[in-house]
Amino acid sequence: MTVLNKARGAAVMLAAALALGACGGSSGSSSGDQAGQGGQGGPKQFSVALNEPDHLMPGNTSSSYSITVLQALFDTLVVLDPSGQPQMRAAESVTSQDQQTWTIKIKPGQKFHNGEPVTAESFADAWNATAYGPNAWTNNYYFTNIEGYADLNPEAEGAKPATDKMSGLKVVDPNTLEVHLTEPFSQFPITLAYTGFAPMPKAAFTDLKAYDQAPIGNGPFALDGAWAHNRQIKVKKFAGYAGARAAKADAVLFKIYASRDTAYTDLRAGNVDLLQTIPPASASEAKKLLGDRFVPTASGTMDYLGFPVFDKRFQKPELRRAISMAIDRQAIVDAVYSGAFKPMSSLVAPLVPGYRETACGEACVYDPAKAKALYDQAGGFTGTLNLYFSNADPSYEQWMQAVANQLKENLGIADIQFRKIPAADYLSTLREKKEDGPYRNNWVMDYPSPQNYLQSMWGEGNRMGWENKEFNDLIAKANAAASMEASVPLYQQAEDIALREMPMIPLWNWQDQAGYSGKIGDVKIDAYSPNLDAITVK
Amino acid sequence: MVDLKASAETAAPGPRPAREVRGSLWYDAWLDLRRRVLFWISAVILLLACAMAAFPSLFARLGPNEGCRLRMSKKGPDATALFGYDLQGCDYWSQIVHGTRASVLIGVAVTVFALFIAVVLGLVGGYYGGVLDAIISRVTDVFFGIPFVLGSTVVLVAFPGHGIWAMTIVLVLLGWTTMTRLMRGQVIAVRDSDYVQAARALGASDRRIMLKHILPNSVAPVFVVAMLNIGNVISGEATLDYLGVGLQYPDVSWGLQLNVAQTFFSEYPHLLVFPALFLTATVLSFLMLGDVVRDALDPKLR
Repeated sequence: MTVLNKARGAAVMLAAALALGACGGSSGSSSGDQAGQGGQGGPKQFSVALNEPDHLMPGNTSSSYSITVLQALFDTLVVLDPSGQPQMRAAESVTSQDQQTWTIKIKPGQKFHNGEPVTAESFADAWNATAYGPNAWTNNYYFTNIEGYADLNPEAEGAKPATDKMSGLKVVDPNTLEVHLTEPFSQFPITLAYTGFAPMPKAAFTDLKAYDQAPIGNGPFALDGAWAHNRQIKVKKFAGYAGARAAKADAVLFKIYASRDTAYTDLRAGNVDLLQTIPPASASEAKKLLGDRFVPTASGTMDYLGFPVFDKRFQKPELRRAISMAIDRQAIVDAVYSGAFKPMSSLVAPLVPGYRETACGEACVYDPAKAKALYDQAGGFTGTLNLYFSNADPSYEQWMQAVANQLKENLGIADIQFRKIPAADYLSTLREKKEDGPYRNNWVMDYPSPQNYLQSMWGEGNRMGWENKEFNDLIAKANAAASMEASVPLYQQAEDIALREMPMIPLWNWQDQAGYSGKIGDVKIDAYSPNLDAITVK
Repeated sequence: MVDLKASAETAAPGPRPAREVRGSLWYDAWLDLRRRVLFWISAVILLLACAMAAFPSLFARLGPNEGCRLRMSKKGPDATALFGYDLQGCDYWSQIVHGTRASVLIGVAVTVFALFIAVVLGLVGGYYGGVLDAIISRVTDVFFGIPFVLGSTVVLVAFPGHGIWAMTIVLVLLGWTTMTRLMRGQVIAVRDSDYVQAARALGASDRRIMLKHILPNSVAPVFVVAMLNIGNVISGEATLDYLGVGLQYPDVSWGLQLNVAQTFFSEYPHLLVFPALFLTATVLSFLMLGDVVRDALDPKLR
């Protein structure tokens, strides 16, 4: 699960951003100006606005900002095309007879930035390191379904694993990797598109700390100089790149901002060429200002309102459905997000295969009268209704206030209080099940499969404390289906159960809003990649 | 007030006949005040603000967060809604009227508590001097050194779930120092005056000297600073709300309204203009009132 890290208000960061803005603005020798004037004979370079990434080790980051950089530095085995279909990139083929043993053929002749060849071993080494428990890397849990994962992650606290290699990974020859899963998983090829599955050269393992600061990849761009924390990351075209997406520009400068608002101001001022995260509230202004250079892209990110089902007061599905029907999603999206987000009647985002527009049916349609009737029938709600959300973005409080007003007005819940949790503590509050009321739940898609949503949020050990054997069985069956097409109807049946029981209400689907300056062209941003390699500098 | 009159008479026995109440500093100040236009303007605005704070239902059409129609979100003024609608589609006029209470209540409460602390500590420290004074002065220095926004942000973030009273405590905690210093200075200035020594010679107790002789003669400048302080506290409270560490839903306040307006003001200026107008008028009135009261109380400026 990826969580956009939008820390705001940290005074130090703000000061750094102001200082950055100041030098980008006027001084002629600054890198910011070079970004804009690359046309005259010099290297063709453009700049991309980012927030500070947490790590650049592919196995140790799920931050969307890190992933933007990693997608320039690395070629994964598979990529997703704009429609979400897997296409081969570093791999020649990914095949399986039984959905459990997968054979990956790697394209020969590819090189890392340091000249090392890309082989099956590069992938096996990277995956073993990520799955190795004591490393405690973020993407560790992506490898749980590979055989031998348990040996690298002993149950006992602090225990040293007996081995550092998963038995399920077999390097057959330099260009063939065989992967044995613990159970059939038809969605496996899509997961390989995630940067957490990127390869690592031998050179990385001599000093992993240094590699995190200066990763050596196999992609069209190579790191140029050190990662200047909170300031910039520079990458240049990799001359030895043998893949299918050689870079059109000579260099890319990632400029790091403390907040997307500052970055947006800089985009308007022409100090940065590409921003992928225009604040939703500024969407209509940006559309007017940028015209064709304003690019809305579908996103897999969803907002939900989750219930602590482990709390007795929220155990009735009727109550949860009544709350769902009392919320006017369209009005909230129009008021708070300038209509940029899409109200949802489904648990998965529209770009996921198997999405059904009205999967939720009546229970997600705003109908105060029916909601009230259902609410009374469920016996109503007594006590204080606490609403939980984090302080990471002011819009969360704004839409929660709308929800609170509507619950008050439509259902007659009089006593509603806010529990605004500092962003850093929010997820741990939910993980430890300390909440006693509905909470904001956000999901950033890892890969476009219903499984990524359903199993992660409603599956065993979920945050709500909701348990349903039928649901779990259907997910297992879908994972074992003979093909991705065959799995979809099974996931849909599981989704129907989750919607009927409604332990978590779907609210809306985000839309990303990118914008770019007039100095660059051929910008082809899609839901899965900003495709920086294709961008040309005018 | 008796002593002031007495000392004035001993110092300069004028031809004016001694009149019990009329000759007092406060009565003179009132005579001066009622001739000033500024005084009446600010007094009327403040009376209105206090009335709104005490009886919002007399002014507002709807209760706080009541009758909000989200579909009307951010719409400008029309026939039913004088000030238009806020982000949540609530009647903005009603919301702003309900926002008055938080500002005025916190402004007045903080100042009253801070004034009380200042008077007690200043009186005790200034009168007794010595170790007690040293301790009080150093503690004052410590609190004086805490930056307002940073200090209150840290405290309020550490203790979430803050309402009007938590805000009051935080603002008192960071706001009593200036008045305490001033009070102490005033007490030291009058401590050795003739009338105090006379009272001491007559065998008056410390308590009597402090309450009957020193306090009335030293509190006027502190009182003026307190009046000015109300305005500062109100804007301080709005600042904390604006930064998102102050009051929160279901409370309604001008600071919160300004906080919401910051995202949308370029397209919906009325969100910013109306609460800003109310906030400015109230703060300005308190400041103007403090100014004219100071002029009236300080005979040297006459």
